This record gives sequence, C-alpha cells and structure tokens, in this order.
Amino acid sequence: MRMNLPLLVAGVALLAALPAVLPGGLLIASIQMLVAALFASAYGMLSGRAGMLSFGHAAYFGMGAFATVHAMNAFGGSGLLPTPLMPLVGAAAGLAIGVVAGWFATQRSGTTFAMITLAIAELLHALAPQLKGLFGGESGISTMRAPSLGLSFGSTTQVYYLTLVWVLLSIALLYFHTHTPAGRLTLALRENGHRLRFLGYNVHGLGVSAFAISAMFSGLAGGLQALSNEAANYAVFDAGVSATVVLNSYIGGVGSFLGPALGAALMTFFGYAVSDATQSWLLYQGVLFVLVMMFAPTGLSGLFGTGVRLVEQRGWRPAVFSALLVGGAAVLLTAGGVFAVELLQRLCSQDYRALAQAAAELPAVTLLGRPWSPTSVSTWMLPASLLACGTVLVFVARRRFGSAA
Amino acid sequence: MDTFVFSLLNGTVYGLLLFMVSAGLTLVFGMMGVLNFAHASFYMLGAYFAYTLQGPIGFGPAVVAATLLSGAVGVVVERWFLRRVHHHGHAHELLLTFGLSFIIAETIKLFFGNYPVDYRIPPALDFAAFTIGRQQYPAYRALMAVVALAMFGALWLLLTRTRIGIVVRAAIYRPRMAQALGHNVQLVFMGVFGVGAALAGLAGAIAGAFYTTNPNMALEVGVMVFVVVVVGGLGSLGGAMLASLLIGVITSLAVSVDRSLADLLSVVGAGAWAEAVGGLLTLKLSSLAATLPFALMLLILLVRPAGLMGEKA
Amino acid sequence: MTDGVKNEPILRIRGLRKSFGPVEIIRGVDLDLQAGERRALIGPNGAGKSTLFHLISGNLRPSSGEIVLNGQHIEGWSPERVNRRGLGRSFQITNIFPKLTVFENVRIAVMQRYRLQYAFWRRIERMAAIREETERLLERVRLQHQAATLGGEMTYSAQRSLELAMTLASDPQVVLLDEPMAGMSSEETQYTAELIREVTAGRTLLLVEHDMDVVFSLGERISVLVYGQVIATGTPDEIRSHQGVREAYLGEEHAA
Repeated sequence: MRMNLPLLVAGVALLAALPAVLPGGLLIASIQMLVAALFASAYGMLSGRAGMLSFGHAAYFGMGAFATVHAMNAFGGSGLLPTPLMPLVGAAAGLAIGVVAGWFATQRSGTTFAMITLAIAELLHALAPQLKGLFGGESGISTMRAPSLGLSFGSTTQVYYLTLVWVLLSIALLYFHTHTPAGRLTLALRENGHRLRFLGYNVHGLGVSAFAISAMFSGLAGGLQALSNEAANYAVFDAGVSATVVLNSYIGGVGSFLGPALGAALMTFFGYAVSDATQSWLLYQGVLFVLVMMFAPTGLSGLFGTGVRLVEQRGWRPAVFSALLVGGAAVLLTAGGVFAVELLQRLCSQDYRALAQAAAELPAVTLLGRPWSPTSVSTWMLPASLLACGTVLVFVARRRFGSAA
Repeated sequence: MDTFVFSLLNGTVYGLLLFMVSAGLTLVFGMMGVLNFAHASFYMLGAYFAYTLQGPIGFGPAVVAATLLSGAVGVVVERWFLRRVHHHGHAHELLLTFGLSFIIAETIKLFFGNYPVDYRIPPALDFAAFTIGRQQYPAYRALMAVVALAMFGALWLLLTRTRIGIVVRAAIYRPRMAQALGHNVQLVFMGVFGVGAALAGLAGAIAGAFYTTNPNMALEVGVMVFVVVVVGGLGSLGGAMLASLLIGVITSLAVSVDRSLADLLSVVGAGAWAEAVGGLLTLKLSSLAATLPFALMLLILLVRPAGLMGEKA
Repeated sequence: MTDGVKNEPILRIRGLRKSFGPVEIIRGVDLDLQAGERRALIGPNGAGKSTLFHLISGNLRPSSGEIVLNGQHIEGWSPERVNRRGLGRSFQITNIFPKLTVFENVRIAVMQRYRLQYAFWRRIERMAAIREETERLLERVRLQHQAATLGGEMTYSAQRSLELAMTLASDPQVVLLDEPMAGMSSEETQYTAELIREVTAGRTLLLVEHDMDVVFSLGERISVLVYGQVIATGTPDEIRSHQGVREAYLGEEHAA
C-alpha cells in the first residue's frame, strides 16, 4: 500500500473525530481497537519484516501492562511520570524483557524460534499467578488513573485521545524505523540472514535488536491497555492473546506496513460487535485465518493490492465484476457457514441438552428471532443451499479470473 | 521413600506419555522441516473421539477407533491443507497448522462445551496393580506405560528393520532422491503424517481417560511436547524419549517437594533473610513444578543449542 | 615454484585439515598468497575446493592447522569476524537478497563498514556517503541501470555481477570467488572475466574455476588441489607441463 498522504490525513482526522460520533461503549471498543492495532504493528515488524515468527508476543504486551500498572500505583500521576507518560514504562518493560527473551530465542531460527517464544510466554503464564507481589495472583492488580497536567483522565474521551496520540506516534516511529539502517537490515535478515554473516554483520545481534524493538512497542501497547482498563491480570499472558495478534496480523497481511494494524482493527471491531450475538466468534476468526493463509496469503491488504493491479491491467469493469463475484461468494459462504455453526452451537449447548432430555422430541432452537426445528429438512437446507451457491460462485470466479482473483 | 518411588513412577509414566505424542511430531518434523502445531490437536481429538465412542462400542474398541480416526484427520490435514501451501515455505506451513489447531480447539468447544468432559477409565481397568508401602499403584498407569513402550519398540523396529522403514528414512533425508528412485514420496509423507497423528490420537485416547479431557489439553500437552523436541533434539527419536522422561520425572518429583529456596538457604542460616525478601525465594518447588520444563529448555538453549541428542547445527 | 617474494604472504595456510566424522576432506593444505596476487585454484570434483573456501571464510571450523590472514590467526573464527578482518567471498550458488532491489542489495553490503548495524535514529536515504558509494560500486559492475530491479528478477549473469559487487562492498583485501562463471555462456564468461580482472585490481584474488581458458588467462599462478592436498603451485605453463597435474586432472589431450 503506497503512502497516500491525503488518505492518511483523512484517516487520522476520522479517528480524531470518533469521540464526537460514537457512544461510550463503542468508544471503549475503539480504544481496544487502537491498542490491538499497535500491538499488531509491533508484531508485524518482527514477523513480517524480520521474518521471525513469534507465538508468544503476549509476554511483552503483558509485562508492559503490569509495569504500567505498578508505575501508576507508585507515581500517582505526578512527579517524574505524569499519567500521559505512563505508557513509557510499558515500553521500557517490554524492551527489557524483549532483550533477554530475544537473546535466547534468536539463537535458533524458523520453527524452533517460534516454539521458544511460545514457551517463554507459557512460562510467564505459569509463573505469574505464583508471584503475587508482582502479578497480583488470580485477581491481578488494579489501579486508577490519576489526574495530571490539568486533566482528570476520568472520561473515556480523554483516554481515547491519549491512546490515539500514543498509537499514532508509535506507528509513525515504526514506519520511520523501516527507513533506518537498522530497519533495512531487518529486511535483509528475513531475506538471507546467512549471507549477512559473510558481509560482516553480527546476525544474532541483529535478531536481538529487532526482537527488542518489537517487544518494546508491544509493551507500550500493553501499557496503553492497562491505562485504559485500570487493571492488569495474568490472563494477559494467555496463549490466546498471543494467538489473536498472530491471526489479526496475517489476516490483515504482513506484507504491507499497515496490514497488521488494519487486520487487528477490523477483527477487534467485529469481535466486539458480534460478541453478544455469537459464542463462536473465535471459530470464525480461525476459519478466516486459515482461508486467508490458503487462498490469500498476502492477507486482506494484499487482496486490495491485487484488486488495484487488476484494475490497472484489465480496467474497471472486469475488476468490479470479479469483486462482485468474489464478494457475493464470500457473503453466501459466510451466511451458510455461520448459520450452520450457530445451529450446531445451540444444539450442543448445555441448556439445550437439558431441554432435549426432558422433552419427547427435539425442541426447536431460536435463531435470528425465529424457531428452527433440528429435525426438519428445511432447517438444514438453508445453510446447505447457501454454501452450495457460494461454492458455485467461487468456481465461476476461478474459471474466469484464474490466479488473479 | 514411598512418595519418592511413587513420584518417580508417575513421572516416568507421564514422560512416556509425552513421548507417545512427541515421537510423531519429531518424525514429521524430520520429514517436512516444519513443526506441526496441530499435532497436539490430534492428541485432543483422540481423547474426544474415544470419549464419544466409549458409550456405544466400549472402551477398547473406542480407543482403537479413536486412533484410526485421528490418523484419518491427519491424512486429510496433510493432503488437503498442508500440501497446498507447501510451496509457500516453512513459516507459512507453521502458520497454517497453527490456524488449524485453533479451529480444532474451537470446534471441540462448539460440540462439547468449554469445560472438561467426563471421560473415565472403565471400571474393568480401574484396579490396583501393586502396592508400594501403604499406597496402591493404579494398573491403568502401568497400562499407559506399556502402550508407550510398545509403541517405541514398534516404531524403532519399523524404521530400522523393515523395507518401509528404509523408504521412510530415505524420504526424510533425501526426498528428491527417493522420488527419483521411484518411490512415491508424497504417499510416504501422507503416511508418516497419518501415523504420527494416529499415535498422538492413541496417546490422547488412553491418557484422556486418566487425566482430564478438556479443550485446552492440546495447548498444555502441545507446549510440553515442543519443549521435549527442543530439549531432546529435533528429529531424534532417542532424544525425544530421553527428554520426555527427563521432563516427566523432574516435574513429578518437583510437585511433591514442598520446599522453597528459602528453606534451602535456611540450612546456611540465611533463611530469615530469604523469607523477608519473598518473591521467587519463597515459592515452593511444588508450585514451580509447571515452569521447570521451560527453565530446562532455556538452559539447553544456552548450553547445548542442538538439543541433548540433536545434530550440531 | 618461483623464488622469493620476500614479503610476508597476506594469506598463509599451513597444515590445514578438515574431517567430517571419519572422512578427511582436507588432508594437509599448505598455501601462500602474496598481496595483490591473482591465484586460481583448480582440481577435480570432490577435491575439496569449496570446503577449503568454507574453512578460510569461517563457515567451517578446521580440524587442525592454521590460517593466517594479514598476520592474524583466523582459523575457527566466525564468518563476520573473518570478513571484518579483510576477507570477502562470493558463493557458487547465488546468495543475494532476492526480494530487495539491486541497489538495496549493494547498500546493505556497503553499510557494514559504517558500523550502522543498530542505527535507528537516522533515515538511510539521508546518508549521502553510503548512497554515493553504492552507486559507484554499481557502476563498477555495470549494474547501475538495473538499480531498481529486484535481485531475484535479474538474469543469471547479472545476479553474478551483483554477487561480485556485494563481495567487494566491504573493501576486502583478499577476495575469494567460488566458481563465478558457473553456468554461463562463453560471452557471459568473457564479460565476467574482464569484470573480475578490473574490479579486483590491487586486491588479492583466490579464484576457483572449472573453465580452463579463464583459469589460464586470469590466474597469474595456479594451485592444484587433489584429494584435499595441493599437489602443485606455479605459473600456467608450469602447471600445464606438471606431470602429476596432467595425470590427476587435465588429461593427456589437454597438454597444449
């Protein structure tokens, strides 16, 4: 994705205007979106640019969160670290842990590296509940945002703007990094680390420095989350947190700079929006991830780029047509799949099982406000036909557009 | 003393169980160069398959069926998913297996709920094998150990003494050459993957009845298995066995030790100081037991990065 | 053996041995390179030429023996240390950064001498000295018009030129080139040979090649490696008439 300055300015303006248009609940979700976007950008720098796949990035995010919470309790908003500067503590903690963890992990490459990062995160996850002083045991540590620099930081809006400023600044710094010698070297590391040694570079050191920078910004993101939630809990080291950032980044596409951020923003938004409607959101996210990895390995941002190339090569009409085909297929397949999953989810839930045991025949489940009987054919025909139509469209699209689609 | 022997036996059994799962993983890694993140998911699937089938067809047949079903899922994963992304590189394959493991876990949560299920040893097998001191040792644990050892023996014999074994080993080390010699390397890949998955499924079917069966078991065992593979050395069956036993025994022995570093320091008179410092020093070893394998892994990385029996890089 | 250049050789190898398990590949190699010399290293397949290169450049650790570069023992050193000491090498199989542009490939190599490995405070575009040096290097290997092409998308011989540029970027005193003409047509070979002659002027060159015309024209002196030992060193004429070499390698019909 090219650096399109007007588009960027518009995006920032839109983000700045959100508190005026969104209700409180959605604004909180937006803060989560920003934090997730930064976390994903930090992650994408390591796995996309440096080519080092980390499965335990929650460790640095979490340490940042805890460090910030402790600092908030210690400083109380005044003195050396006023509240707005608290995320720096998160960054420092992320950096420190990142250097140590990175030193170990970058001794190996590829899949072994990934396993080591996972093990480090699991180590923290197992250790944290035991160290009650540092991590607050099962319930975690809580804190309060202290008023500082004339602002109370009590309202969501103020927290939103604080988060926005930090996220924009961090992403800008990450972008700047890509233009520095160190940043170019991380690219070379991904391409051919072996050759770098013969060019005189200390490759282990390069790996540690890339890891540490990624961990630093992850810690900063964790600090922002702690600031917003006013709490940190050892659940932040959970493998699910590491998994989510991986999924988000690759769904967005690690090939482009803003891909992971956009993927994270999208997924967090959807997660928030549908979390009341479905319990299977994680399953959908996983399926989307696998589909992306298999059919659109450059992620959603890569798809966008493909679309642009399609327009350049063949003009508007084929591009729009193929977009409609693919989009239509996606909608049908999603509708059919989601319907089937939601049906199954209700049928397999504990409440339903209790009901079914008590009743003479299988009772109906409620979906989209209507009852559906599990034994009737029409209930299952609906998702089946949706899926079938979607599959047909996919075949048509592939016939027409081959690999470009 | 009884406790010690008990812990030792338990640790050995747990280690053998870890081996059952990591053997397949280390073989597949040697063959494909990628650590299959979904491998532990086959373990979980084996447990859930067996649990579902135990009612209709009985425990023994359920275990056998679960093994075969897990193997079948493994074959499907290799043929329809992994093979498609093979040309994108190892990182891509790893990510794909990661996604698949995620989906498998979520699907199990969909069907069975996000809590443990009541998968239990059948009463016929729920007796004491022997008595140590005043405590009875459950026969089922001995059964798990026997199955694991039998599996190790069978695998080793198969790989080193049979023609299939030679072909598999050739395909692992020199896939293109083996293909040039006329062997269907793709079939071998699929077969090894399926066998690895089946073995993991067998381990799950057997262990799930004894330990807990829940949607998180893949992650718990999975991380442990990866630690085993790193500690033992990638691609080495012997290393996997050694590392599994080591980790099993260390964890098991540590769980029974209710002492902390502070207690150790009190031997030299620094006990009170250590208690005052708190934190890590006052943590009992039993609480830390779960973290010991990770510490071992980091130690190995420092001292012997190729693993205990791995080839030097 | 021609007699005495009295200066200390810039690269001195004594009694170098390397075994892989029970198999000894390098079985006692003695070699002296004088500063500014152009030496060709020839030998049948399996003689150990690539292994020798790996030993000198730090990719492998010798089983025994010594390698002295510019007065400093470097046996067992890591590749980066050897490179920083003043030795650069190219690879038989092209070893570039395929998804980076030609310009970037060379720039990465150039950057190392400026000790910027961890520099994260300045944009690289602003570092004029690096840019100019990169452009100069590209001109020397005649790749300046392809600066924006991706490394992986160039023709094979252009990639070899890029490989050469990267090897030279660290300004090494001693250059090891491992079959730089491998897989080239005769025009490409001539072109590359000329290029090598130009860009390694003033440096010490150790060249492994199979193309005998190149060997005899580029190499001021030639060393012959057979079964892990150097059996002869001398001028092209001396080598052509050396009995042992003819038996082991060239074959009777090539005696010109």
